[in-house]
Amino acid sequence: MSKSTPLVGRRSWRPKWPVNTDRVFKRRRYFGTKRSVLKLQGQFNPKTLRRELVLTDKKPLFWIAALTILLVLPLGVGNQRFLSLFGIICIYAAINVMWTLIIGTAGLQSFATLATVGVGAYGSAYLSITYGLPWPLMLVAGAGFGALMGWIISLPARRLDGLYYALLTLGLSEFMRNFVTQSDALGGKFNGALFGVAQIVPSDLLTTRAGQSLLYLTAFIALLVILIVFRWVNGGRIGLMLKTAATSKEDESFASAIGVDFQKARTHVFIIASAALGFMGAFYATYIGGTSLQIFSLELLLLMLAMIVIGGLGKAEGALIGTVIVVGITQWFTDWGPWRVVLVGVLALLSVLYTRNGIFGLKAQIQEIRERRQALHRAAITGRYAEYLPQQAPDIHDKSLIVGRVFERTLRDRLKSWIDPDIIKEHELKPMGQHSDHLERMLNYFRKAPIPDKYAVYCVEPFASYRVVALSGLPGVPPRIVDDKTYPSLEEAYHAVFLRRVNDLRAS
Amino acid sequence: MIEVVISAAVLASMYGLVAIGISFTWASIGMLNLAQGFIFTAGGYAAWVFAEFAISAGISGPLLSVGVLTFGMLGSAVAGLAVGSIAFLPLQDRDNFRTRSLIATLAISLIGTQVWLIFFGPQNKPLPPVFGEGRIEFGNAGISYGQLGTIIVASVMLGLVILWMRSSRRGLQMRAMMMNPLGAAVVGVSVRTTGMRVLAISGALTGLSSVLLAQIFFVSPTSGVQPLTVGLIISLAGGLGSIPGTVIAAGLVGLAEAVTARYLQQSLVPFVLFGIVVLILIFRPRGLGGLLEDVRE
Amino acid sequence: MTTPILEIQGLSSGYGPVRVLHDLNLTINPGERVGLVGLNGHGKTTLLSTIVGLTGWQDGSILFKGEEIGGRRTHGVGRKTPSIVRRGIALAPQGDAIFPGLSVRENLDSGAYSGVTWRSRKRRRDSVLEVFPPLTKLLGQTAGTLSGGERRMVSVGRALMSDATLYLVDEPSLGLAPKISIGLVAALCEIDIGEGAMIIAEQNLPLLEGRVERVLGMHAGELKLDVGEALGDIPPSAAVSL
Repeated sequence: MSKSTPLVGRRSWRPKWPVNTDRVFKRRRYFGTKRSVLKLQGQFNPKTLRRELVLTDKKPLFWIAALTILLVLPLGVGNQRFLSLFGIICIYAAINVMWTLIIGTAGLQSFATLATVGVGAYGSAYLSITYGLPWPLMLVAGAGFGALMGWIISLPARRLDGLYYALLTLGLSEFMRNFVTQSDALGGKFNGALFGVAQIVPSDLLTTRAGQSLLYLTAFIALLVILIVFRWVNGGRIGLMLKTAATSKEDESFASAIGVDFQKARTHVFIIASAALGFMGAFYATYIGGTSLQIFSLELLLLMLAMIVIGGLGKAEGALIGTVIVVGITQWFTDWGPWRVVLVGVLALLSVLYTRNGIFGLKAQIQEIRERRQALHRAAITGRYAEYLPQQAPDIHDKSLIVGRVFERTLRDRLKSWIDPDIIKEHELKPMGQHSDHLERMLNYFRKAPIPDKYAVYCVEPFASYRVVALSGLPGVPPRIVDDKTYPSLEEAYHAVFLRRVNDLRAS
Repeated sequence: MIEVVISAAVLASMYGLVAIGISFTWASIGMLNLAQGFIFTAGGYAAWVFAEFAISAGISGPLLSVGVLTFGMLGSAVAGLAVGSIAFLPLQDRDNFRTRSLIATLAISLIGTQVWLIFFGPQNKPLPPVFGEGRIEFGNAGISYGQLGTIIVASVMLGLVILWMRSSRRGLQMRAMMMNPLGAAVVGVSVRTTGMRVLAISGALTGLSSVLLAQIFFVSPTSGVQPLTVGLIISLAGGLGSIPGTVIAAGLVGLAEAVTARYLQQSLVPFVLFGIVVLILIFRPRGLGGLLEDVRE
Repeated sequence: MTTPILEIQGLSSGYGPVRVLHDLNLTINPGERVGLVGLNGHGKTTLLSTIVGLTGWQDGSILFKGEEIGGRRTHGVGRKTPSIVRRGIALAPQGDAIFPGLSVRENLDSGAYSGVTWRSRKRRRDSVLEVFPPLTKLLGQTAGTLSGGERRMVSVGRALMSDATLYLVDEPSLGLAPKISIGLVAALCEIDIGEGAMIIAEQNLPLLEGRVERVLGMHAGELKLDVGEALGDIPPSAAVSL
């Protein structure tokens, strides 16, 4: 939090509105949970002299805006091509959001996403064709197949390191494709195409605008369901538990040391996400009324990867934006032929080579570049950072520290240049009372030194014996005696303290 | 029975070459090269272009065979260098290199397939038989020239690479870099140039395997996917970075595929392969020969 | 006046936000063997690593035989190291930067990697074995199985294999039994370096005394000619005498 609110400079805009102080503020919560709908903070506005509420987390606003656009735009335009384009965007976005859950929250680098989707699609399509399963049951069956698949492929994940697991699962789609091609029941003869699956919207309605709008609406609702699942898992207890073990091996050992069974939590998240993926597979099958082998192609998997890489790995909003961009390019500009996939690939390459984490990592990245550049620039023009190297300056967040240190140093340098035998002599002759300007300034500097290790005079015997001590600065801890000399008068002791301080100043 | 062994050996030698390329790259520069499928097809197309040109110029016989093999390896080596200059050199000393280079190579393979599609079209391209046509019969079994040639060429090439790694100055340099990149830098071995060299060599091995596989299948824009996935699985089971481990794993996978295809069902092959690899990895998470990782850490 | 082997001016370096070396100046002439003494964490290793470009960032000039090898560099750890090393600087790093899976012979040979030395590696290996006779019997053994002292000999021997004019030896005695470390440092100090130079970083001053031409102290990232101060005896704070 301290990092995001700079001590100096611009502050980010936050929506705020006045509150009625007569009424008791009641916090709204999501249904069935203890989570607040919006993160609000009450504060007193010194200008208007009224209390007001500040929205500290603006993310929900963006989400609501984005989802509203996603809902209203296609329905409003009502063009068939537009509707089908956005339907596919919703489906792919839902799959990508679940993939994000696996990669980001569970921390498993799995490429088995489309294989799971395919298993859900083929399994439920097969049941629907052979046993005439209606579409609501298909969705349930798809989720079941997905969960089963997730359980099976989560078995090796416990033993394998991240990249090994990624490689293992990368081949899974290809194997599934081979299996379907070889098997007769799954349409191997027709190159893996299954048709005649129960559809959500009856096919005679599909030619009308209302039917198509309804079809799009189902896809949008599926995306909403998936987003709710994502929020529920990622923001819930299990997601929090996994965040403790998120980044490195050390974190994992730390997490297990405080009693978080992250392996188990990881498997749970993986199975939940896989069930959701299987659900999306079944939904896809009922959405288009069949399945095809395209689900298992490496090309589609790579396109999906490009989507989450372009948007930003591990973030739901990244998955959404990436999907809109990539699906927009590949489905809208169909007359570009293979070039559109090349374009997507180039975009993915650029975001890997030049950004830290896709589009949603850009803000932080640009901010950092700007801060670094500003710091270097300031260092070059003012020499204000002389105490530090320019390379160091960007890492110090509180710039007043730098200013303070630089001031201290220039002050010390000036005082040091005044040290000469005359000034020492002057103090020796007259430790107290009115002094020359330089000596007075030097003494002022000494007086404001911090208490710990500050020199002081200790009276052993009044008017007869004094010693120089250094204060401990801690209550109850006595000062420590600095040396074995004793001074017969207070003036001499004062001068001894002065000499020590001068000595320290010279050495600093 | 003998036929099963022969077909196992053929499969093992072809997939093994790809797997060793992947494994070798990972061990020396810490990059998982998933653009190996793209490199594979590059070799196939280079060989095809040469073959078209050579046949129209009237070249045939051994010269054609040697030319096809050479061009296949050259094409893949060049593709390997291209992958290196995009995914290795710019990312090499940045944080999160492993994940980033993995994604970069995946993006390259996405682009690569489309590039082949644009330049060569979706049709399958056949390569001329490199080892001639014919069979040697012995007892109730036999082996075709193509199979024999594949096994011999793959083993000889692999042997040469291993020998070169063991005895030459460059080989010593690569092995040193695998074990201790910092120590290697201290004795004057540049990670960047050596890394590019490694990519070229593993590319050449992949290109060889591409030409050999094209004796059975064709060259097409997506023909690199199958060898990539099987190669990945073999290199995993063999323990990334271990050449003996990879050779053993290639043998095992080849045998499993041949036996399943012969006595069970072709459709079960993927599941058997996957099951074997998962079993190996569950009992030895670092693969058959993955001791190197431990030493490295 | 010959050109010095190494001339460092205004060198600062460090890792990330941490600055380890502060405006350091140092000149080393041909034929000199210099000891670098200081407590742990005062920048001995950083100085040696900065010379070959292995720190996070650096600033300032390093002239090696009159040629600039330093300069301002903010990132790219170790990217320039191979080219610096090939100019003729051999570093035996702190700890064991040997190649554990290679045999002792291969480890030594890898030191002769740069330049024309590869062809004369056998002769060079023999001369290293003269310096460290215990290695003769171990030539075929895998380096990972050696004892600490033997590893250190391999590491230093590898540096000696190259055709360098400047040898940098970092903490040869670290973690070794006193008897072994005395032998190792004595052997190091008897090597004929001709017109070259050698810097030995060491915590243990008595090991070096009388064996090297010059001893420099290192304290808090700055060079001190007064060795005692670097070793931590804070001088008694005397009254100001002006």
